[in-house]
Amino acid sequence: MTIKVGDEFPEVQLKYVPYDAAAPNACKGPQLLDTKKAFSGKKVVLIGVPGAFSPTCSVQHIPPYVAKADELKAKGVDLIVCVSGNDFFVMEAWGKQEKVTDKILMAGDANGDLGRATGLSIDLSKAGLGAVRLTRFVAIIDNGKVAHLAVEPDPTEVTVTGADKTLSAL
Amino acid sequence: MAIKIGDIFPDTVLTYVPYDAKNPEACGLPQQLKTHEAFRGKKVVLFAVPGAFTPTCSEEHMPGYVRLAGDMKSKGADIVACVASNDQFVMHAWGKSYSVKDDILMLSDANGELGSALGLVNDGSARRMGPIRLARFALIIDDLKVIYVGIEPAPGVSVSGAPAVLAKL
Repeated sequence: MTIKVGDEFPEVQLKYVPYDAAAPNACKGPQLLDTKKAFSGKKVVLIGVPGAFSPTCSVQHIPPYVAKADELKAKGVDLIVCVSGNDFFVMEAWGKQEKVTDKILMAGDANGDLGRATGLSIDLSKAGLGAVRLTRFVAIIDNGKVAHLAVEPDPTEVTVTGADKTLSAL
Repeated sequence: MAIKIGDIFPDTVLTYVPYDAKNPEACGLPQQLKTHEAFRGKKVVLFAVPGAFTPTCSEEHMPGYVRLAGDMKSKGADIVACVASNDQFVMHAWGKSYSVKDDILMLSDANGELGSALGLVNDGSARRMGPIRLARFALIIDDLKVIYVGIEPAPGVSVSGAPAVLAKL
């Protein structure tokens, strides 16, 4: 039931608050992101994280992607998206903390649609994060098709989902 | 079905990341708070918000409590706490953004247990905010007994706001 390389990436609606360089501290209107429409004809790196503001995600996982965003784009990536089970307001605030600016689109999957559609949802109730969260993964989606998928065996760590590993997979 | 004055506050487990005065920038280890154990014998102001980092909660609701938590404590509140269905890391980060330190305890009810026990949980899925969201409300709890209930009847902040609660202490 879990998504694998070669599959068509599912069509789900995520939500995000766009970064506005002219008003970086504003919280402007949230927008929907339809994965089919947004990813069509593009090479996308999609990073799934268990929790915004959590230690591993904030310190080990996202910063290298911010630092290497240009290298990823030089290798043909059109869009880098980070998604979690948090809502889009939280993702926007976290993106500001991590200073992602417009390098990474920070999207929320609070309804759990993406987790369910990909089979990559995980129950983190025991850790206090709620029953429908995303595990830690990175997918390279090429014109809607999954070209690469790395799922962390232990979601509290960053190994196969790190930025360097993703760069080598491109 | 919602909690009312005279009821005993439910016994549930919430999570939080404690403020560490020695290491204010660190993100400490999450801890559990058992409501009966933590609130027994104390006067507690507990306000709930639908979402950390959301406009109304951030601009209208939280700032009042940041400003008046000290006054509430002067009027007998032992604990001033904020709870939402966001997880403990999000609540901790949101609290930090207001520099609440340990003036306001930032609690997480990510599983919605408290919200359900109080009859004050809503489904935010239509706005893509997920199926578990707390309503906007404030309670004053005295030795586990609820002595004030302010449930917002409409969007905005009135009976659940800090000034309304301060007046009741």
